[in-house]
Amino acid sequence: MKSPMAVSDRGQGPYLRRFGPVERTIHALVIVSFLGLVLTGVPLRFAYAPWAAPLMKALGGPGSAGFVHRVCAAITFGYFFLHLLRVTWTLFHTDDKKSIVWGPNSMVPQPKDLRDVIGMFRWFFGRGPQPKFDRFSYMEKFDYWAVFWGVAIIGGSGLLLWFPTFFARFLPGWLFNVATIVHGDEALLALGFIFTIHFFNVHLRPGKFPVDLVIFTGRARAEYFEEEHPLEYERNVREGRLEGLAAEAPSRATYLWSMTLGFGALAVGVFLIVLVLYALVS
Amino acid sequence: MGALVALLGAAILGLVPAAPASAQRATGVVECRNCHANRDFLVGKAATLKGDSALYITDSLLHDSKHATLSCTSCHPAFAGGYPHRDTSVVAVPCQSCHEKEGADYARSVHAPDAATGGSAPSCVTCHGAHHVLAAADPRSPTYPLNVAGLCGGCHANAKIIGTYFGAPDQAQARNAVPQYYKTVHGIAMTKAGLVVSATCNDCHGSHLILLPDSAQSTINRVNIARTCGRCHAGVLATFDSSSHGQALRSGARTPTGHSAPVCIDCHPAHQLVSASDPVWFRGVVKECGACHEEEYGTYFETYHGQVTELGFGITAKCSDCHTAHAMLPATDPKSSVYPTNLVATCAQCHPQANANFVKYQPHGDPRNRARYPLLFWTWLFMTTLLVSVFAFFGVHTLLWLGRLTLNRLHGRPLNGHPERPGKEGQS
Repeated sequence: MKSPMAVSDRGQGPYLRRFGPVERTIHALVIVSFLGLVLTGVPLRFAYAPWAAPLMKALGGPGSAGFVHRVCAAITFGYFFLHLLRVTWTLFHTDDKKSIVWGPNSMVPQPKDLRDVIGMFRWFFGRGPQPKFDRFSYMEKFDYWAVFWGVAIIGGSGLLLWFPTFFARFLPGWLFNVATIVHGDEALLALGFIFTIHFFNVHLRPGKFPVDLVIFTGRARAEYFEEEHPLEYERNVREGRLEGLAAEAPSRATYLWSMTLGFGALAVGVFLIVLVLYALVS
Repeated sequence: MGALVALLGAAILGLVPAAPASAQRATGVVECRNCHANRDFLVGKAATLKGDSALYITDSLLHDSKHATLSCTSCHPAFAGGYPHRDTSVVAVPCQSCHEKEGADYARSVHAPDAATGGSAPSCVTCHGAHHVLAAADPRSPTYPLNVAGLCGGCHANAKIIGTYFGAPDQAQARNAVPQYYKTVHGIAMTKAGLVVSATCNDCHGSHLILLPDSAQSTINRVNIARTCGRCHAGVLATFDSSSHGQALRSGARTPTGHSAPVCIDCHPAHQLVSASDPVWFRGVVKECGACHEEEYGTYFETYHGQVTELGFGITAKCSDCHTAHAMLPATDPKSSVYPTNLVATCAQCHPQANANFVKYQPHGDPRNRARYPLLFWTWLFMTTLLVSVFAFFGVHTLLWLGRLTLNRLHGRPLNGHPERPGKEGQS
């Protein structure tokens, strides 16, 4: 049989669950809103680039582009508070409260993450084996906190610029200057990071190319876990938890919309980063 | 052209003395018309000059003109001796003997020397006609406002004529001046709306005293432009005169980079006048302001106002929306739209809820100017450091990772292997 295109469906072993429906939905919302925000934001930030005016015209002008930008911002605030709510809810309803801030299932950086960074650089230079990652690698934690910080910073500065006369009732106007710088630069950091580093780490590097659908379908084969999250896999084997994680192979419909969203987002992202790089070097 | 007609006429008239010596003497209109209103008599006598028309002067033509009360010899004194026309050396029409001011003005104009030496430049009759001379207010007159552009365009839109007088860089501009005029607000008002009070060629360039712009007396010399436009746009002229630009123009002040004060045509190019809502125009004006106000120009485009303008949409504030179009004054002048106590009103034009806090916004804030905007500088430095650090770290991380994976693949090792211990075992 021909090997499946997505890395999460390749190899041997049964399907195991990695992400639940809420995480999958939030990530899909992140993709759609982020692409919408970048698409409608870059023509302003790079207004001087030759592609900016045609793109803005295609978007229907600053009025409709601004509307799309604000709708996507509302989606962003929506998933941000949904996530905060979920973390708070878990905090009150789980017996193992410590696992939220410490241990393999926590997003909080641990000493192991620092050891893994050093281990990876040693491995890059052939000075040691590749570190084994647990449920979340330091790169995935960085992605998580980058979005967390990014939404707070870009969202906060964006709100200031969305309702300037309201905020001017109690804040000085020069904050709008600060907000403009912060909003644009943090957005440039976000899009530059997602469309190059995140794309490479998660989808495009040899071994994973061309796409990893685990965040969309929520599941991957056992061999995928052995490669990408060996510590988590070994622990689950040791503690006999594989049964509980077993999942059906993704249905044809799930596979199709996951491929569409995955490749669609990759294509739009690469298109946008090419535009931005062109504007930056010209 | 008129001079040409007159000179050619003289050459032909030179043939006339061959007529019978027994011809009568004639001195008045009645006597002139015996021959010159008789087409049959004139047939063949001026064959080289577009038929007989040059010599054929009907009564109706003369009686309909402003010169109906004059006699032929008022304008053709050389023929006062009657027929046969003995002294035919001077047939040029001395219009200036009556029209003194116009004659004197014309004599100093750019057209006069060329016309005198037989060039293509117009003389009196070129524009006013020879015998059927009509008042400029007469719609049939070539000098009637609706007809002027066509009259001037007869020569100025003619590539051959313009080519003999203008060098390569100015030629296209000179040749396109009239066709472009028709597309300007002035030209559209004149031709489409039939608005005779709109400006046509002579309103800006003058009628008789037409001078090149580098001449101090020229109506289109930079120093005189505001007066010229102000003849119609009187309200704008008064505002402009009291503005920083108007004051600088009078004092002759220049910017450190050598620019003199802007005049009307710097923002409103005379032959490309378009509506103020046209992106081509407002983008051009902002650029024009930026030619001197370089720093403000650069920082403007880092704001939302400037970015939307740059994209060609006129919905955000442009220079004139805050600084006014013609009454711009320094922020230190209490009459200025950007004087601190006037800012709320100025910003409220677009932001109705603007208050004292709101106008603390810096529309030209420059993060690279640490002395003036320390807070913006530190914000910018923090963000730049953050971006450079993240991209530097993960850029190196990604490239090294790609390198390790490529090496492993080239050496046939598993992707997560390494040279010392090829295989899948790792450390925890």
